[in-house]
Amino acid sequence: MVIQKGFYKKMLSIATKSNNNLKFLKMKQIKNTLLLFMALVSITISSCAAQIKNAKTETVKIYGNCGMCETTIENSGNLKKVAEVDWNKDSKMATLTYDTTKTNQTAIVKRIALAGYDSDQFLAPDDVYARLPECCRYDRVNKSAMVQNEIVETHATQNSPTTSEKKQEVNQLKAIFDNYFSLKDALVKSNQKLATSIAKDLLSNINEVKMEKLSADEHTVWMKVMSGLKSSTNLISTSKNLEKQRNAFMDLSANIYDLMKVSKQDSPIYYQHCPMYNDGKGANWLSKENAIKNPYYGSQMLTCGKTVETIK
Amino acid sequence: MILMDKNKMIYNRLLPIALLLLASSSLFAQKVVRYDLYVKDTIVNFSGKDKRAIAVNGQIPMPTLVFTEGDTAEIHVHNQLKETTSLHWHGLQLPNKEDGVPFLTQMPINSNETYVYRFPIIQNGTHWYHSHSGLQEQIGMYGNFVILKINGDPTFRKGIDDLPSVPIVLSEWTDLKPENVHRMLHNASDWFAIKKGTTQSYAEAIKAGHFKTKLKNEWKRMLAMDVSDIYYEKVLINGQNESQLSQFKAGDKVRLRISNGGASTYFWLTYAGGKLTVIASDGNDVEPVEVDRLIIGVSETYDVIVTIPAENTAYEFLATSEDRIKSTSLYLGSGVKQLTSPLPKLKYFEGMKMMNGMMKMNGNLDDMGMNMSLQKMDMNVVMYPEITGEGKKKKNGMIQMKMTEDDYKSNKLSDIVTLNYAMLKALNPTTLPEDAPVKELRFELTGNMNRYVWSLDNKVLSETDKILIKKGENVRIVLYNNSMMRHPMHLHGHDFRVLNGQGEYAPLKNVLDIMPMETDTIEFAANMDGDWFFHCHILYHMMAGMNRVFSYENSQPNPQLANKEWAYNKLQTESNQFHFMAENDFASNGNDGLAMLQNTRWSIGTEWRLGYSNMMGYETETHIGRYIGKMQWFMPFVGFDWRYRKFGIDEQETNLFSQTNSKDNRNLVSVGFNFTLPMLIVFQTEVFHNGDVRLQLMREDIPISKRVRAGFMLNTDKEFMVDLRYIVNKNIGIRTHYDSDMGFGLGLSLNY
Repeated sequence: MVIQKGFYKKMLSIATKSNNNLKFLKMKQIKNTLLLFMALVSITISSCAAQIKNAKTETVKIYGNCGMCETTIENSGNLKKVAEVDWNKDSKMATLTYDTTKTNQTAIVKRIALAGYDSDQFLAPDDVYARLPECCRYDRVNKSAMVQNEIVETHATQNSPTTSEKKQEVNQLKAIFDNYFSLKDALVKSNQKLATSIAKDLLSNINEVKMEKLSADEHTVWMKVMSGLKSSTNLISTSKNLEKQRNAFMDLSANIYDLMKVSKQDSPIYYQHCPMYNDGKGANWLSKENAIKNPYYGSQMLTCGKTVETIK
Repeated sequence: MILMDKNKMIYNRLLPIALLLLASSSLFAQKVVRYDLYVKDTIVNFSGKDKRAIAVNGQIPMPTLVFTEGDTAEIHVHNQLKETTSLHWHGLQLPNKEDGVPFLTQMPINSNETYVYRFPIIQNGTHWYHSHSGLQEQIGMYGNFVILKINGDPTFRKGIDDLPSVPIVLSEWTDLKPENVHRMLHNASDWFAIKKGTTQSYAEAIKAGHFKTKLKNEWKRMLAMDVSDIYYEKVLINGQNESQLSQFKAGDKVRLRISNGGASTYFWLTYAGGKLTVIASDGNDVEPVEVDRLIIGVSETYDVIVTIPAENTAYEFLATSEDRIKSTSLYLGSGVKQLTSPLPKLKYFEGMKMMNGMMKMNGNLDDMGMNMSLQKMDMNVVMYPEITGEGKKKKNGMIQMKMTEDDYKSNKLSDIVTLNYAMLKALNPTTLPEDAPVKELRFELTGNMNRYVWSLDNKVLSETDKILIKKGENVRIVLYNNSMMRHPMHLHGHDFRVLNGQGEYAPLKNVLDIMPMETDTIEFAANMDGDWFFHCHILYHMMAGMNRVFSYENSQPNPQLANKEWAYNKLQTESNQFHFMAENDFASNGNDGLAMLQNTRWSIGTEWRLGYSNMMGYETETHIGRYIGKMQWFMPFVGFDWRYRKFGIDEQETNLFSQTNSKDNRNLVSVGFNFTLPMLIVFQTEVFHNGDVRLQLMREDIPISKRVRAGFMLNTDKEFMVDLRYIVNKNIGIRTHYDSDMGFGLGLSLNY
């Protein structure tokens, strides 16, 4: 290689300057030494055959559904030279082969549970289970229901007085605006699942709006934006892709902005602009707070943007 | 031996008894409560290997001591070790001579001696106790110390103080002897990083797309950073890695009295059964605050309430080390075990990038105008995948936005609610006496990762005198952390107010975790007598000298310490020991090695290259140097150089300065200095007594990959060397090198 040759040349030149043993510097010697070095290193690195010693074999039930589950179960349970797992998706039984001096059944089964698969010993963490692909979400037979607990008030917490006001006539659009703000918050937190569920609520609220009950201005705008609102919200509520949700949020925000301009607000609403999103074309959103929390980038660029208008 | 059965001992006998005591209202009237503690060597096996540890009454952790406020504690310590020992009662307010600090409040307890600690209990809450001698805390001498409220205490809270409670002490286990761990830290060994997988070498950097980050990091003369320095084989809850308390049923609420008895590990606490309600910190009640997780600093205590949500299920209470390498679980309940998500591995190169931004070339930290205090911001959040997402985000050609405070606040970036000090509020006003004079002190926490020197204001204990305070004053301390690590600062004998924005209701603590670049203010009423230790509670930082002593003027003499000055001197020497290291490469072209003795400021080192014949030659150079400055990049020295070589392979008439080259025959004294340049290259200038001058550039241990290190040297005597080393284990490596005088070689490199 070039490096080797260059090195050799330099050493040769030093060698010729010195009045001594060229034999130290012959290419062959160098190559041999380097080879020996590599050999010693690789011997040290290479392990003996990946056989499990002191092996014990047991079977244990692991709950799961399909072939994809099998891969995850086995990969999470396996540990080189220590444990091997072979799961049968029909019988739901896993055959464990492990080195008794290094591990035990509990450790292996716990690892599998942490990857999302219940057993009779362990329940997978709820959020890991929720992230499993749809087909893999087996029935969690071992999971018991939460008991209904009376909430005991401690000295410190105060009871908020229950108001028995007459239910005021709530502006129909308020529910929609509230949903919008929650949806915006979910996107700020990059929470695709939450966004999906809020969008579902928003969609049903949109569908329930009785146009006749809106004020004249609201009615006009509503006619204009209704279908756009429905389609953006629908997209967000059915998409599992955060980026697609954010994309649809742009149109949604534009429509909501139009509505807010004609609908009376109790507190100021801030119309905010992010210059970078949408390939630099920029995108807007509405917020109840002046502090910038960017729903298009979330924590990646939380504070990117500025308020361009305040709607009172 | 006895410990093999400790499983049975603790959970079938001791703990239920302790629980019974804690659940019932105080049956004990004010009286003397005596405990006898027998401290003995033992063998433990936490990781598959038998190792030495210290057990008290045959158990690790030490027995849980329970008292009621108003009792008089009388603890008989029977030292059955072959070495001295002591016990410190963490967080307790007591007479100075009972505080348990050898050479500050008492003489060490000798081998085969029995020593009695006796003091009134004038407070309540969750505390702990541990040895304050050497590194004994690391190998088993830690235990729970619980003080119950008196019957009829007006601060008794229904629904909190009447719950069943479980005292828990967190700790770590390393198979290495702690003295060796301590030495390896001072020798900047990267063995722990190899074990943890956190070497952050160039190869790993390239793989992660962070080559420039690594380059910049070394340009700023930093070594790869980690949130913790040591690899532990296991972390433990009450001495066990996995354990269960099956007596709890669905609907039960349990109070966990958690003490972090670890020597150097911060733990994240999470729970599979829902939220944690924090109700006390460092033994002092706070208004309940509900969180998803909290980080408990070394030596802190927190009381949290958790519930058991469902039948036939045991819920995992998980303590994970801050570096996420190890965790330990306690299952509450019986039935199938409901697990909680483990904390994912840290994104180290994101952390390195953040550090590059925060570190100035001169070693000071740059907070970029952000106001940091009270754990509200966590710079490390860039490394937490659970808060800032996985992996490197594609930038899409965006302009790099300036990071603001909100970009580092976990609670703003995610739905996970993390506890911070600003959320703690005392139940009653804690204000100090209004008309008392205020003494204000300021400390800057300083540290040098490369040489493992940790100090306050760049001075270790051995370089400072005691700080005098007067009884009746209010002492206010402003702390600024100008180092790259967080430190849990602990004050003996007093609780202090943490000024956290809660006004009159500032919480009372005795340990303050302060993160890099934070400024925190604490204050306490000086109402005691004697000498009180103030130090970073990370054991290895304390042993490196990150300490001070507050001394009350006109204190009563301490009957234990006849000669206070001599004693203080001993205390100071303890934390400024010399550490030894040596390496030798037994190679085909000679023996290439070094040995070094160094402490905080001094270094005495010898290097040698000894061939097998006159032709290969023999060389040795010795330097005695003193490190100057906070970052210790500059080290002037005096030296001695001896060489002999006949008909060597690379004879040179002159050096680069046209002086006669003595590199083959030298017997000279010298003066000179070392200076660490960017990229961690050491530049050395040496002037010999005959007028010869030598300049040298050298870099060792370039982290090429996880286990491969490279190095080079070249100087004005026209000598040069390059080497490659593969690390096999803690003490052995395979090394190949080329030396212009000794030729090519391959060998076994041994190091201590």
